[in-house]
Amino acid sequence: MYCERLKDLLADYLVGELDEKTLAEAQAHLAGCAACREELESLSAIWTKLGVLPKEQPSAALRSRFYDMLEAYKEGLKRGGIAARPLQSLSSWLSRLVPRRPAYQLALALVLIIAGLGSGYLLNVRSRSNARFEVATLKHEVNDMRRTVAVSLLKQASPSERLMGVSWSVQLDRPGDEIIAALLETLDHDSNVNVRLAAVDALYLFYDHPEVKERLVRSLAGQTSPLVQLSLIDLLVGIRERRAVEALGQLIQDHKINPKVKKRAELGLAQLS
Amino acid sequence: MKTIVRLAGIIILLWAVGMADSSQQSQADHAVVSFTNPAKPGSLEVDIREGSITVRGYEGKDVIIDARWRERVLTGEKREMEAALAEAEEELDQEELARKKAQAEKSRGMKMLAVESMGLTIEEEDNVIQVSVEEGKRAVDLVIQVPFSTSLQLSCRDDERGVTVERVNGEIEVDTSDGPITLTNVSGPVVADSSDGEIKVVFGKITPGKPMSLSAMDGDIDITLPLDVKASLKMKTDEGQIFTDFDVQLTPSQQKKEEDERKEGGGYRVTYEKVTLGLINGGGTEIQLTTYEGNIYVRKAK
Repeated sequence: MYCERLKDLLADYLVGELDEKTLAEAQAHLAGCAACREELESLSAIWTKLGVLPKEQPSAALRSRFYDMLEAYKEGLKRGGIAARPLQSLSSWLSRLVPRRPAYQLALALVLIIAGLGSGYLLNVRSRSNARFEVATLKHEVNDMRRTVAVSLLKQASPSERLMGVSWSVQLDRPGDEIIAALLETLDHDSNVNVRLAAVDALYLFYDHPEVKERLVRSLAGQTSPLVQLSLIDLLVGIRERRAVEALGQLIQDHKINPKVKKRAELGLAQLS
Repeated sequence: MKTIVRLAGIIILLWAVGMADSSQQSQADHAVVSFTNPAKPGSLEVDIREGSITVRGYEGKDVIIDARWRERVLTGEKREMEAALAEAEEELDQEELARKKAQAEKSRGMKMLAVESMGLTIEEEDNVIQVSVEEGKRAVDLVIQVPFSTSLQLSCRDDERGVTVERVNGEIEVDTSDGPITLTNVSGPVVADSSDGEIKVVFGKITPGKPMSLSAMDGDIDITLPLDVKASLKMKTDEGQIFTDFDVQLTPSQQKKEEDERKEGGGYRVTYEKVTLGLINGGGTEIQLTTYEGNIYVRKAK
C-alpha cells in the first residue's frame, strides 16, 4: 500500500524537500486517502506546536527566486564599488601584490625569508658587540676588586689567608705595581716560611716586571730558611739573571749555610757564569 | 684587659732548695688561663727554644698549661762530654771553647742549682694567649689543654721532641727546626714547616676554602685526608718521591708556559714550573707540599 511509503515521506513533505515527481505522487495519494490525510494533519499540528515547522512552507520556486535575488545584490555591490569591510579591502589589496605565477610566488617567498634572517643577524651582531663591551667593563671591575682583596689578604694575621692572598695575586689579569710590591714585601718580611715560598712561586710569573729581578737578587742575601733559599736560587738561575752571581758567591762563603743550599748555589753559579 | 701571670720564681725556688737532694726530679708548673671572651674561639701562641710542645683539645673553656722543666744538672763527666761534642760538631771560636772548658773544670763534681726563675711567661690579651720562655733557660716540655676551637701558633726550635697536637679544630701554624711535627685529628688549615723533622698530619676533616702548606727540608711529609675530600695538590720535591693511594687526576705540570700578547700591546711571558699538580675528587682546597729530600705520602683515611 502507498500509505506505508507516504508515512516515510511525510516529514519531507512537510518541510518541502520532496522532489517534483514524488511530491505529485504524494499529493495524488493524499487526495484519495483519508487516513493519510489525518496522519498528515496531526503530524503538522504537532510540529507547529513544537515550532519546528514554519507557518508557511516555501515552495521550490521561492528558493530559486531567492538565489536569483542574492546574485543580483552581489552584482550590484561589485558595480557600486562599496567596501563591505576594511579587512576585505586589505586582503584584496594584498592579493593584488602577490604575483600570479607560482614561480614568482616562490621567488617572493625566498626573498622575504632572506630579508628576515638578515635583519635578525644584524640585530644580533649589534647586541653581541654591546654585550662584549659590557663584559669587558665587568671584567675590569672584577679585576680591580680582586686586586684590592689580594693586597688586603696579604696583610692578615692568619698564614692561611696570606697564602690565599698570594694565590689571588697570581690570578690577576694585570697585576700592577701595587701587587708586585706587596709580593716582594711578603717575600722579604713574612714570618712564615710557607708564605715566602708561595711568594717565590708567584714572582716566577712576574719576573719581567721592572725591578723585580733586582729585588729578587737582593732578597737572596736576607733569606734564612733553606727551603726559601733553594727556591729563590732556582728561580734566579731559571731566568738567567746574571746579577745573581755575586749574591750566590756570598752565600757560598757564609759558613752558617745549609750544605744542601751551598751545593745548589755552587751549581747555580756554574750555570750562570 | 691585660693579665700578666708570672709563674712564681720564689715558690719554685723554695721548692727547689727543699728538694735539693732529689736533683733528678723535674719540676712542674701548672697554670690555668682563661680567655677574655670564652664564647669566641681564642688563639694560643707558644714560642720556645729548647723543649717540646704537646697540645690537646678538650671540652673546657680555659687553657691549662703544664710545664715540665728538664733538669740540666750534669755530672762532671757529662759536662766534659758535652764540651767535647760541642768542639767536634761546630766551629766554635777559641774563646767560647776555652770558656766552656774552664767551666767544666771549675764545676767538676758539683750540681747546678736552679736559682733563677724558670723564665716562663704567660700573657693573655684579647683572646690571644702567649707563652714564651726566656733565652738560655732550661728545656721545657709543655703539655697544654685547649678548647677544641682554638687556633694555634707553635714554634719550637733546637729540640728533638718536636710538636704534637691532638683534636684541635682551629687554624694551626707550626714550625720546628729539629723536631717532628705530629698533628692528629685536626681540621683547620695547617701551615707548617720543619728543617729536619718529619711532618705527619692526620686530618679528621678539612675546612674547605682555606689553603694549606707544609714544607720540610729533610723529613718526610705524610698526610692523611678524608676519603671525600676535594683538594688541589701542589707537590714539589727535589730528591724525594711522591706516593698516594688516592685517585689523583694529574693536571699537566707545565714545564714552560708561553704567553704572547705583543699583538695587543702587552708583553711576552715565559714561565717555568717544576711542580706536580694533582686534583682529588675534582679539586678544591689548595694544599701545597714541599720537600727537599723527604718523600711525600698522601693517604686515604681508613
